[in-house]
Amino acid sequence: MKKLVVFCLVFLITFVFFNGCRKKVEEVPPPPPQVKEQPKVEKVEKPPQVKEPELTEEEIFERKTLEELNAEQPLKMVHFDFDKYDIREDAKPILAANAAWLKKWTSVKILIEGHCDERGTEEYNLALGEKRAKAVFDYLVSLGISPDRMRIISYGKSQPLDPGHNEEAWAKNRRAQFTIIAK
Amino acid sequence: MKIIKWTPLIIFIITASILPLFTQQEVVLSLREGLPAIPVACPTFQISGDQPFVQEAAQTLREVLLADLKYSRVFVPLPESYYKYIPALNPNNIRFKDWESIQAKLLFVGQVKSNNDQKSIIFEGKIYDVKSQRFILGRKYQADRSLLRLAAHKMADEFMKMYGEPPLFTSKIVFVSNRDGNDEIYMMDYDGHNQVRLTYNRVRDYMPAWAPDRKRIAYTSFKDGQAILYILDLEKGTLTEVQNEGTNFAPAFSPDGKKLAFCSTLEEGNSEIYVARSDGSNIRRLTFNKAIDTAPTWSPTGREIAFTSDRGGTPQIYIMDAEGTNVRHVSFGGNYHDAPAWAPTGERLAYVSRVYLIFDIYVLNLRTNQIIKLTESNARNESPSWSPDGRHLVFSSNLKGTIQLFSIDYDGTNLRQLTFKGENKLPDWSK
Repeated sequence: MKKLVVFCLVFLITFVFFNGCRKKVEEVPPPPPQVKEQPKVEKVEKPPQVKEPELTEEEIFERKTLEELNAEQPLKMVHFDFDKYDIREDAKPILAANAAWLKKWTSVKILIEGHCDERGTEEYNLALGEKRAKAVFDYLVSLGISPDRMRIISYGKSQPLDPGHNEEAWAKNRRAQFTIIAK
Repeated sequence: MKIIKWTPLIIFIITASILPLFTQQEVVLSLREGLPAIPVACPTFQISGDQPFVQEAAQTLREVLLADLKYSRVFVPLPESYYKYIPALNPNNIRFKDWESIQAKLLFVGQVKSNNDQKSIIFEGKIYDVKSQRFILGRKYQADRSLLRLAAHKMADEFMKMYGEPPLFTSKIVFVSNRDGNDEIYMMDYDGHNQVRLTYNRVRDYMPAWAPDRKRIAYTSFKDGQAILYILDLEKGTLTEVQNEGTNFAPAFSPDGKKLAFCSTLEEGNSEIYVARSDGSNIRRLTFNKAIDTAPTWSPTGREIAFTSDRGGTPQIYIMDAEGTNVRHVSFGGNYHDAPAWAPTGERLAYVSRVYLIFDIYVLNLRTNQIIKLTESNARNESPSWSPDGRHLVFSSNLKGTIQLFSIDYDGTNLRQLTFKGENKLPDWSK
């Protein structure tokens, strides 16, 4: 009896098993259901890219043209008192910052331009502009910048920054400004 | 009406104060330095042929000649109304007594005819002395129709030469103008006509100065952050570099044309006065101090140089010997003087004096130490330069708003505007 039960059980399991297997193989899959719904939105992802390595400050500096560099005006201009060419107190921190920049970028060579306002005569102004440029030159030398890296020129009153004819314009025009000529 | 002319000051004051006692007539007094101007009769020119262009040419030639003579201050054309008092001129039989009767001292007889080529004209001019009834000189010019003004200027210069004066009317003024964009060098006739461009550098060209041969011009050109001094030869078309180290400016040729004084910052970055041979060789330094030294101008003898220096604290005019020695201070009565210009006639020194925003031109008589204020306007009058005969000056002024060139006589009369396009400055009148 026990044997019969075991046999029956084995048979049953075997039957069920085989039956199950056969069914699976024979079963014809139902036709795919008609698409009624909208397709699922597939998100288009940006393919992974090779990331540009971060540029160092030096490399950024290297890549700039002289024009681009000058357009950024890393060296700030300084202003002067009427008829004077000595460095004003408010110009000293500006020149110190300029000197620091020049020390950082040791290959840079600059032109210091001296300018005057319209209240001086042509001939004297050209000499005065030169004096202003020279005063800035000397001050930068005193801050440790090599004289070989700097040249000076005067434009007198021929290149006003502000074409106005008032104290505000004149104050702007009495200046020494910097142009980077090599890097 | 009583006209008293050319009398010494004292006589004129006495006369002027006494005259009203005797008469109620209006008294017109005019007092001028130097000799009275010589009245010149210049009747309408004789014309051969009836081509309209010859008639036009004759008219232009006469107009220009009369304008030149009037400008000269040496001659004065007879008023046009005087001609109707006497019979018309017969060039073959001049009745000098007639011309003397209308106070002419000189008689100019002009004849204009068409050249055979029909394009140019022949202009013949004869100058007669009325009192002695003598022919003095004659000139004959063939001129293209576009060069009529030049032909008339040449004829007018013969008048000047006859009286020992340098040619004035063919002299030229060089100057800086921005009319075509940036500052370039231009040239014009003394009267503002015939303005032509001389440099095409697309950089700033500045402070031109004539050589006395009227063929070469020294000037500063700003190139690549440098202010280089060049000499441009107008006939050969050559450009010679004089000095390219430092900022170089304010050139001035010596009256003999052999030397060139200029300012340079080539040593120590301070403007000093240097002198070189006129080809730019053999550069020597004349001033040695920490102050600004600028704007050299030669005395007519070439033995001295006047210049601006702020060695005393403010810009003042000094004179030194041409070797740089014997420096003396000559300007006084102001705290800002610049742009000295030594008259070719010797005793006068023009310069600019600043009082707050106003620049005016003054003339210092070096012999008498008297100062005349030449310009009186609420403007910036700058950069005076003398005419070859020392009777006129050209200068720049913003009198009419923009900066333009004007000429004025040595006594402050006869102000004329010469330029109108763009801004014009830094004139130099050829000597």
